[in-house]
Amino acid sequence: MNPDPFLQLDRVIHEKGRLAIMSMLAASPELSFTELRDTLNMTDGNLTTHIRTLQEAGYVSVAKSYQNNRPLTTCSLTTAGRKAFTGYVDLLEQILQQTRKLK
Amino acid sequence: MEQAGNPSCFSLAKTHFALQSNPMETNWAAEHLQTIRTLMERSAVYRRTLAPIMIYAGCLGTFSAAAGLALHIDKFKAFFALWFVTAAVVIVGALLIARRQALKDNEPFWSPPTRRIVQAISPPLTAGMFLGLVLVRVGIRDATIITFVWLLFYGCALNSAGFFMPRGMKLFGWIYIGLSVCCLMVLAIEHETISISANWLMGFFFGVLHLVYGGYLFLTEKGKNAA
Repeated sequence: MNPDPFLQLDRVIHEKGRLAIMSMLAASPELSFTELRDTLNMTDGNLTTHIRTLQEAGYVSVAKSYQNNRPLTTCSLTTAGRKAFTGYVDLLEQILQQTRKLK
Repeated sequence: MEQAGNPSCFSLAKTHFALQSNPMETNWAAEHLQTIRTLMERSAVYRRTLAPIMIYAGCLGTFSAAAGLALHIDKFKAFFALWFVTAAVVIVGALLIARRQALKDNEPFWSPPTRRIVQAISPPLTAGMFLGLVLVRVGIRDATIITFVWLLFYGCALNSAGFFMPRGMKLFGWIYIGLSVCCLMVLAIEHETISISANWLMGFFFGVLHLVYGGYLFLTEKGKNAA
């Protein structure tokens, strides 16, 4: 089996929690912090850490605003994030095809 | 970007990863892709609770039907006016309920799932409304037929919305479509002999059915993300 696709997997995205965040954001133009937290059953701290990692990698942008005098934090994928996520999914599909051929 | 393909670091980890992955079993990538798919679908789903909206629509529908029967609103124009006003009040009230839930949860009201739902239901509702008007314009003055045409398109709207909502919304839409089609066929065959008050029909289909579905949702919803 060609190990290349495995080696190319983006490790920032490959972590379970961050992959979940990226998947959610890939299907929606933007999501609020509370929506992500509640849907993924994550703690505030855990989600903040993962979002910070994704932000540092340039994959996620975070916008802070106010809605009815209450702070609202929304997250969205950047162009680089969308490209990285698409690449990650493509690699998974390659791996799947390879393993199917071996069967 | 931290990639496993970069030879300058994580060499041991990478080798391990590749070696483990090799025989790793076919399901690994498939499971990952399935998880991604599930999460993407969940992200696109409308998650506001539907029970209050359904119960509200049901109460208003039943009230309007009762008012129509009590006040003998059987004349064609008055019947139309009553149900257009009812529909408008239901739509505005439903939006206000959804907005209140969003504010309570500190989330944006006009979120992508909300936009998808509105985009999904708008074409069938608009088409139903215009077809009703066209049928009247060409001389069909039977409120029963118009009622079933409205309910048919309303069922189509619910079915479209069901693609972005869990919890049986598509089935609820199909119930409207199925019942409307059956009743229209019966009317087409036995048009001369059947005479039912259109207010009764609207009260049952628009009022009672919403109340039943709203009650079911109310009893089975768990928390705000259940719907």
